[in-house]
Amino acid sequence: MAKYILKRIVRSLITVSIVFFVVFMPLRFMPLNGYFPDEMIKETDEATRMTYLRNLGLLDHPLIQLGRFVKNLFRGDLGRSITVYAKVPIATLLVEKIPVTAFLGFWSMLLGIVAGLAMGLMMVRFKDKLGDTLGNGYIMIVRAVPSLIYLFFIQIWVSKWFNLPLVYYDYKPLSWILPIVSLSLSSVAWYALWLRRFMVDEENQDYVKFATVKGLSKKAVLKKHVFRNAIIPLSAYLPSDLLNIISGSLVIETLYAIPGTGGLLTTAIKEQDNPLVQVLVLMYAVVSIFGVFFGDLLLAFVDPRIKLTED
Amino acid sequence: MKNIIKRTLALALVLVMSTTALFGCSSDTDTYKTYFSTSYSSLNYYATSYATVREIVTNCIDGLVEPDVYGNYVASLAESWTHNDDYTVWTFKIRAGQKWIDHTGAETEYALTAQDFVDGIRYIGDPLNGAYSLRVVRNLISGLYDYYWGLDDIDCGLDTETNRDELVASFSDIVGVKALDEYTVEYTLDSGAPYFLSLIESSMLLLPVEYDYAMELGEDFGVDNEHMLYCGAYYVSEFQRDKLIKLTKNEHYWDAKNVTLSAVEYQMIPDGTTSLEMFQRGEIHYTSVESEAYQALKDGSLGDSLIPNEFSFSTNYLWLDYQGANPEFNTFVQNENFRKALQAAVNRESLGALREPVDPSRLVRNTINAEGAIFNSEGVDYTQLEPLKAVANANYSADPAAARNYMEAAVAELCNEDGTIKGVTAGTVDYLPVIKTEVDGKLPVSLIYVGTDDEDEIILAQLFEAMVEEAIGKDYIDVVLAFDTSGDFYGTVGGSVDGPFNYDIYWDSLSTGYADPSGILTRITSEGVENVGCYNVPEFDALIEKALEADTFDERLNYFAQAEAYLLEGAYMIPVISSLRGYHLSYEVPFTAPRCLYGNIRYKGMQISANPITLEEYNKYEADWEAKKNAAN
Repeated sequence: MAKYILKRIVRSLITVSIVFFVVFMPLRFMPLNGYFPDEMIKETDEATRMTYLRNLGLLDHPLIQLGRFVKNLFRGDLGRSITVYAKVPIATLLVEKIPVTAFLGFWSMLLGIVAGLAMGLMMVRFKDKLGDTLGNGYIMIVRAVPSLIYLFFIQIWVSKWFNLPLVYYDYKPLSWILPIVSLSLSSVAWYALWLRRFMVDEENQDYVKFATVKGLSKKAVLKKHVFRNAIIPLSAYLPSDLLNIISGSLVIETLYAIPGTGGLLTTAIKEQDNPLVQVLVLMYAVVSIFGVFFGDLLLAFVDPRIKLTED
Repeated sequence: MKNIIKRTLALALVLVMSTTALFGCSSDTDTYKTYFSTSYSSLNYYATSYATVREIVTNCIDGLVEPDVYGNYVASLAESWTHNDDYTVWTFKIRAGQKWIDHTGAETEYALTAQDFVDGIRYIGDPLNGAYSLRVVRNLISGLYDYYWGLDDIDCGLDTETNRDELVASFSDIVGVKALDEYTVEYTLDSGAPYFLSLIESSMLLLPVEYDYAMELGEDFGVDNEHMLYCGAYYVSEFQRDKLIKLTKNEHYWDAKNVTLSAVEYQMIPDGTTSLEMFQRGEIHYTSVESEAYQALKDGSLGDSLIPNEFSFSTNYLWLDYQGANPEFNTFVQNENFRKALQAAVNRESLGALREPVDPSRLVRNTINAEGAIFNSEGVDYTQLEPLKAVANANYSADPAAARNYMEAAVAELCNEDGTIKGVTAGTVDYLPVIKTEVDGKLPVSLIYVGTDDEDEIILAQLFEAMVEEAIGKDYIDVVLAFDTSGDFYGTVGGSVDGPFNYDIYWDSLSTGYADPSGILTRITSEGVENVGCYNVPEFDALIEKALEADTFDERLNYFAQAEAYLLEGAYMIPVISSLRGYHLSYEVPFTAPRCLYGNIRYKGMQISANPITLEEYNKYEADWEAKKNAAN
């Protein structure tokens, strides 16, 4: 097992390095004007703009820039943002923003799992009845209707009905409710949908039919056999979900004015903030790859039938 | 089980309902609550151009002078000032006994002296500090241009003989800004600048800095409120990036008695609907209202409080390419009648209606420099000086036949009887990566309008196409629309005198940044950095030269007015509308804050009403303000 873990870690690191390199190099070939807002292009001559870029090290050969970044990375220096937050240390930005996003993300994940599994159970328990129909209706709405529509509705009208704050404040717990609920809407649907599918699938297995024939009630069969087996494949996604809470949601963070990481990567790419893009890509690549890795480990842990090695 | 669920729900509801008292309408008239909608990069006022930062800095770092409620410049950190006859030397006496304060509002050991203004220029003069938008100040202050590029030559290895430290040490000898004594600073300018006080108001580059403190912080200077010092009416007491900024009254301020608000709170609200909703709930004191929302609001409870935004010094115009690769357009654009046909074909009110459907006429602008921005010594608006007055007041859309008539005259001069264009053969116009198309060298003239792929700009382009083809006639002109999707419009289409020139016409804007036409006009001479269409108009250049050499400010303005009129009468570029848009709702008592013309907002002296100001109240305040202003002047 230790050998397997070591092998996966090495493979993960190689993958992260490839992803990083693939992102790093094209950034160096983006148009130079992209580093400047339109106003500055109009206000300054090209020589001044080149001076500005040169002093930021952006005119150096891409490999020199890569070497400098990696060297600083090993020193624990993530560099400074150049366009989105001029000269602000990226480490400072991450320390400011990740806790906000992660906090809301964690609670929304928890809500998504609890409410999603509860809804999934309800749909199976009342399969082809009202409970199932309501659950399917919810899933259909969340998946089919553009999210902006119902998110906006929740922000304006639900906040009005319950007199909740329209935007997020770190010192007003009531202002956390709508962002957390909004963030969890799709994961509730996701967990409910997949739990229902897995459970319906399990219900057709021979061991379930055997348990039913033995005289166990439907509730007991669902609880003791079906649910336990159906939850196993879902558990593989938990580490990814947990690690991804740092990535945030562009739409919800914009709607509720949450100063988190949602949209940070998009903005950084748009404004050609190379150091920020690099760090974020690196961070998200690590999170994604190790999320899958930990998911596999968790799967083997919760289901002893699953072996990760040939031994 | 059911009981537990019921109890939990009831508890949650009680919790929600009982805490609502914590929110809602604020009748606090001591703290002004407003918002910002986009992130800003840094508080380093030399290295950013973000509007929000300008607002914060304007209120936290005092300049030498400031506008009063009527827009007249009065003493700020400078108690008095003088200038020589040709406005090339300006001397300011600084207020004694002032100290920089930190983000807690406590006085630091740093005294505010004339040297801090010298050091501000020293800071921006070093390319390594990455100051933004240097052009105007760098070209104006004597020696600064050479100092900046001297350092740059050393930095990039072009000059290996000069020692950088020695050049930096010689700053005071080279650059025209000096501390004559502890409280006297003198600026020597390369050319006369009667508008210098307005430049002090508009440019953050002329603000002071505590150099030792800034140098000690290095790149950390201005990254947040704790890495700055303050000398204005407020200091930044709270700073949550992309969320909240709180300005608190500076109790050590030299004019603290006239600082009416104890605090100003900015919170980030990226969405216009949210800010409107928060205003209605009484959580903020101001919100802008887009014209699109006006119709929906005007019959509601806040309909009476919708106040039209007052002015914009930014002008939208059509930029013509005089050296593009389209031989048909290139031949025609050199012809004055053709340019006048375009000038007459563009219906300004129709274009204005895209932004301001209620009253588009208030957007119409025929001049490059904005009305209300520049005045001569007698208080006459620059745009009303002859001969510019005729251009400013013209109604180019008055005669529906004019565009066609001008075009017919152009066609008579440039085309053969069979409709072929003289000297033009069929060929390919390569404006890639935007568009590549064929032209046949015959009428109709192919005109390639290039815009961004922004939804509003696409609609604007389509309207332009329709109105030009209708006014001039499809038999004479064929407007081809192309949209740049690169996200780098200026790099792909135009925007630089060095090219690329991948357009025949595009839509752009220029803004009057201070109280002198030179801010724009010297940039668009034949050799100007902003003449991206590369026209050659020696008559215009000569008038600009005369203006710059004029003995008096009034004479200078007269020459500038002649120059601008010459350019516009020849339709070398075609101003269309101002960038003004929208309405606002506000609790601010109108005209109690300083009258800042050039893009800033000052809170010193501002008063807040207990209720939103209605348009009727606003108009009364305005009339009263006008009367007092006229009496004062």
